[in-house]
Order: sequence, then C-alpha cells, then structure tokens
Amino acid sequence: MDDLLQHFIVEARELVQQATDSLLALERESTIVAHLDSAFRAVHTLKGSVGLFDFAPMALALHAAEDLLGALKGAEARIDNDAIDILLECISQAERWVGAIEQTGQLPRDAGEEGYRLARALRSQLDEGSAQAAPIVPEADVGWINDLLSAGFDRIDLRAHNTGLIAIRYTPRADCFFAGDDPLALLRSVPDLVAVRMGNREPLPLAAEIDPFSCNLRIEALSCAGFDAVKTVFRFVPDQVAIHEVARRDTADPHGDGPHGSPVRDTSAVGATGSRTLRVDATRIDRLADLVGEMVVAKNSLAHLATSSGEGTDRNDLVQGILASQAVIERLVADMHRTVMDVRMMPMRDIFRRFPRAVRDTAGQLGKLIDFAMEGEDVEADKSVVEGLFEPLLHVLRNAIAHGAEPENIRLEAGKPTGTRIVLRARREGDRVIVEVSDDGRGVDPASIRQVALERGVAPRDRIERMSDAEAMELIFVPGFSTASEITDLSGRGVGMDAVRSAVERLGGQVGVQSVLGRGTTIRFSLPLTIVMTKVMAVRVGGETYGIPIDGVLETAFVPASRILPIQEAEAFVLRDRTLPLVRLANLLGILGNADPGRGSKVLIMSVGGERVGVAVDGFAERMDVLMRPMSGILAGTPGVMGTTLLGDGSVLMILDIPELIG
Amino acid sequence: MSVRLNGNIILLEGQCRVEDAEPLLGWLQADRSRVVDLTDAEHLHAAVFQVLMALRPSIKEGGKDAFIREWLIPVLTAAAPSGATQPEG
Repeated sequence: MDDLLQHFIVEARELVQQATDSLLALERESTIVAHLDSAFRAVHTLKGSVGLFDFAPMALALHAAEDLLGALKGAEARIDNDAIDILLECISQAERWVGAIEQTGQLPRDAGEEGYRLARALRSQLDEGSAQAAPIVPEADVGWINDLLSAGFDRIDLRAHNTGLIAIRYTPRADCFFAGDDPLALLRSVPDLVAVRMGNREPLPLAAEIDPFSCNLRIEALSCAGFDAVKTVFRFVPDQVAIHEVARRDTADPHGDGPHGSPVRDTSAVGATGSRTLRVDATRIDRLADLVGEMVVAKNSLAHLATSSGEGTDRNDLVQGILASQAVIERLVADMHRTVMDVRMMPMRDIFRRFPRAVRDTAGQLGKLIDFAMEGEDVEADKSVVEGLFEPLLHVLRNAIAHGAEPENIRLEAGKPTGTRIVLRARREGDRVIVEVSDDGRGVDPASIRQVALERGVAPRDRIERMSDAEAMELIFVPGFSTASEITDLSGRGVGMDAVRSAVERLGGQVGVQSVLGRGTTIRFSLPLTIVMTKVMAVRVGGETYGIPIDGVLETAFVPASRILPIQEAEAFVLRDRTLPLVRLANLLGILGNADPGRGSKVLIMSVGGERVGVAVDGFAERMDVLMRPMSGILAGTPGVMGTTLLGDGSVLMILDIPELIG
Repeated sequence: MSVRLNGNIILLEGQCRVEDAEPLLGWLQADRSRVVDLTDAEHLHAAVFQVLMALRPSIKEGGKDAFIREWLIPVLTAAAPSGATQPEG
C-alpha cells in the first residue's frame, strides 16, 4: 500500500471519529454551533482527502453529507433525529469503507449503490428541511454518475441484468478527429447501454464560430455489460475516459437482505494483525532522542577508557572507569527501554470514543433507553492491549444493552430510573489495567445460570451443584454456554462470552463477572499494562527447558507420591483440602519426563479457565522477564506455544500456552 | 457525399463521416430553419453530431438505425440544451 493511501487511512479514521463525536454531541445539544462546525469541518476535510483517490461513491455520499451539514449551518434545514441518523449512517459507512480500503486497497463492490443510496437519503433530508426550493447543489466530480443513474432508472429496472452497472465518462480530446477517432462509433460499440447523456466539454461558441473539426463533446453512459467488455471498447483512448463500476443492490447483496439485515462485517474493528502505523506524542520521541544523545556521550567515555587502557593506565583506575561507564550505560538502557515502551502506550480514549455511537445504535435498534457514561479514558496501556480490547468490550456492551437492560416499566416498578445506566470504566491497579462494564439492569440469576449450564451440558451436574453462586456465574464464559438461538443480529456474529474470554486471555488478561439479581452486572477485565515484557517461569521437562507465563501460575508445590490419587485414566491430588486435577507436562507435550513419580512431583498450581489445575514438571528453574515474540510464519499455528524468546546464552525458550495444551 | 440538401431539408444518409460536418454546418448556419432528416442515416460521426447538438435544428425523427433512434435523437430533441455539468475544480 502506498504511503499516501496509508496516511489517508489514518487521517480518515480520525476524521470519522471527529464527525461522529460532534454529531453525537450535536444530538444532545442541538443549539451549540461548535458541534455543527466541527462535524462540518471533519466531513469537508474527509471528502477532500477522498477526492485524491478513485473512491467516487464515497466522495458522492460525503459530498451529500457535507451539503446537508452546510444547510444545517445555514439553518436551511432542521437539525432533527432523522438528519443526525442519516449523517451517522453515512459516517459509519465511510468508516467501513476505510476498513475495506485498508484491507483491499479499494472500495467493496456494492459501494457504488450504497454511496448513491446514502447521497439520495442525505439530499432528501435537505429537500425536506428547507422551505424554499432547495438550492442547486454543485455536483462533485462524481455527481454525473448520480444523474446518469436517475436518467437510466426505468431501463435499469426493466432489464433484469445480474451484473453491476458500469458508468463511463468519455471526454474526447479536441483534436481527436484528426487522429481518426469517432467517439460516437466507440459509444455505439459499448454493449448493453442503459443510459446516455451528451454534453459539451467547453461552453459552445457562437454559431458562426463553431469549428466542426474540433471535438467538443462529453459523453456519459451507463452500461450493464461487464467492466472488461466496456474497458476493451475504450482501450485506445484510456487517457480520455473514466470507467467506474456501480454495483447494484441485487448483486451486492446475494442473500437478498436489505442493507440492514445483511451481516455487515465491522471492518473498522482492529483485526489480529492490525495497522502497523503508530501515532506518537512528539515529546516521547524527543525524550528518546535525548537518551540517544546521552548514550553517545557514554559511548565516547567508553572509547576514552579503551584508548587509555593501551597506555598503561593504572589497573584500578581502569576498573573504576569501566564500572562507572557500565553503570551509566545500564541506566540509559533501562531508560530507553522504558521510553520505547511508553511510545507504544496509548490511551483507552482511542477505542472508548467509538463506543458511544455503538451503544446509541444498539439501544436504538432494541428500543432501550440507555444512560451511557465512560470513565478513565486517559488510562494508558500498550497499543496491542488497548486495540485488542475493542471487540470484547463492544460485545460486553451490547450484551448489557440486550440482556442487562430491563423494559422501562419494570425499572420503574423496581424504583430505578427509566434509562439503564451503563458505565464503561478503566483504571490502573499496580501493573495492571482494569476495564469494567457495569450496568444497573436486571442482574444475573445464578439459579438460571445453573439451569442453562445443566441443559447445555457445559459441566457435569455434580460440579455445577457444588459451585458457589460466584463460581456458577463464571459459567457464562464457558464455551457452549451461549447458543445459536440467543445470537441476535446485535450481540450476534456468533460470538459468545467464551470468545470474549479468549480474546482477553490472548492479551494476557482475565475476565470476571459480578452480579446481583435485580441490581446489575459488572464484567471486569484485568489486563497487563504491556504485553511486550512477559514474566515467565522456566520449568524443566525431559531435559528441555520451557517457559510458562507467570500470570497463570498461582503457586508451586511439591506433592508427595502418596497424595497423588489415580482416578481412572487421570490423576488428582489434594491440596489444602481441595482435590485438584493433575496433568503431567511431559504427557501434554508428548515427551518422556525424567522425574521419577515415585518420589513425588513438582507441581505448578495454575488457573486454567477459572479452575485450579496442577501441572507436574521435572523441575523449576528461574523466573525471568522476557521479550516474547509471537510465533510467526509457518509456526504461527503451532498449538500450545505462545511464542519464543531468546535467552542470554543465545538459546531459544519456547513459551507454552498451558490452557491451550490442556484444552 | 452522405449529406445533401433537398429544398429546406438536409438529408443525412448512410455512414455520415467527419467530412460531412462542414457542409452540414454551412447549410445550418445559412438558414437555421432547415430541417435535418436522419431517417436513412446509419451512423453519425461525432463531428456531425456535435454540429447538430450546437445548432439544434428541427429533426425529422424515426429512422432505421436503432442506436441513432434510441440514444442520439433523444439528445437532439430534448427540450432544453442538456449540457453535461462542468467538472468541479
């Protein structure tokens, strides 16, 4: 992807956000001109940058949005919910398009139709709102497609072609007749024409001054033949023709769903690979530059020592010098490391700001009244942590609206305010970030959780019955708990709370739920500030050393053979009056352990999916902070291995994903 | 010559080529009331067509050629000059 396009994507995201924030603010406070100005500026700038690329449908829609905002500014149209809705819809679509552009470099096939539809809807607001005849709006460079579509509308419907439409704008050069071109012969050979418009490239001169041999035509046409068929016709005049694909709804949407019914992939969400662009506060870069400067000084003093060592300097002085130099360099390296980590830190705001709109949309679709608030937008965490939180948080928020919020009459009877309060909160706790979604809705009933868990067989009956209420609540995170029947269009896409949990665990985090029936529910994520440095515990198995992230290790224990009980094929052991399952790491890895089980086992007590499990190893080695590299390339899919790290002696330590190995 | 003048009627017949534009323009400039008959035209070169677009003579409609009938004559007989929009800067 070229640089310009990359900058466009970064900028477009920001502008989309600015427009969204301003529109939502405008909805709350429709009289404040600053919100309207800000939305207008964002859309105007975005339209301008879109114009640098060949994204005509996007420009078309944004242009209409800009006109509507302009009319709102000039009080020619009224600011009402319909206007805000369609503007937000346009901005959301623009955001999805930016996502598509980021992934494929171009707009999706249905963009033409969608852009046209949005532009129509936006302009209808304009007509509706203005009492006087709507001013003639200067069309952007792509307005002609719009006009052509309306010109050829009847015919487009008559011909039930299943292909997209191709819009052609052919502006022959003035001297083309001398080159032997006949533009009308070319037009004649375009297959399946559905609309034609003719105009002049330049204003007509007086009748007496017409030069019949200077071509002054502009030909616009729509065809329902394929893009390539049309392109072939104009292959000798590529510089004079613009050909655009304008997909039609029936092709764009093979399921026949309306634009709302179709499962729209939220391309704006950050995927696993994510964007490689990072915006950094300039002061952090300055700090880094200062440190590099100090590093140069330290290097120079080391160079001085190296020179003087050859000149018979006193050995003690030399040692002193080296020690001092080493101390300075050590401090600098630590500072640089910290600063580089800081560069990767980003505030929660960057994802939080997208939630008010998502909440508004979901609440609107479900007809729920939601009082949404956010706290702790300034809390920072590593970029990968923050971005990785978007999807799970979105899901939890949607759940809170869909399942947490009760109908208004029930809330009133319970003495609660009509609007369900949902708070998204981030805060720092030591070296972890806590992110919570709390609602004051109906809460979770542990009895019905048990019931559902039993019906769906997510855990054995006796275990479910032994669980405390708090433990039973955690069952919502177990795979298989939420079933397809519950997947609505909203909380949908087949994502259950188990996916939320695994997404958070991938970031090195944990999830928890607290709920009081009738009072509300809190879903809590606890995440590391940074996942770049990982604390691991090295363990020995069968002569090899492996790393295990220490986050999941609760304690280590030595279990005498007498306390290990065989249970059918498996083993268990008793630790402080609780029976825990025991797995042997050697078996999980399919290698031969060296330890003699007859003399007892060294066991790591780990939390796996909310349960305690003992993992037997041959021996414990040291704990260390490592810079973990995720598995990449052909090893990316290796099950049970989170990543690798290079040890000081140059050997590679594999870091194991114990929950995955067990699961 | 695929263009000829018959009384007050300019007849365009067969394959009208680029060189037909000049006489056509001359005849129309001389007398704007002349009628152009496209009934027997099989193709109009763009140079010919743009003369008709610029001067907008009365057109004798109908004709053998579907392309002319369907796409070109409507442009020439449209009520108002339907200039394509100029591109915005």
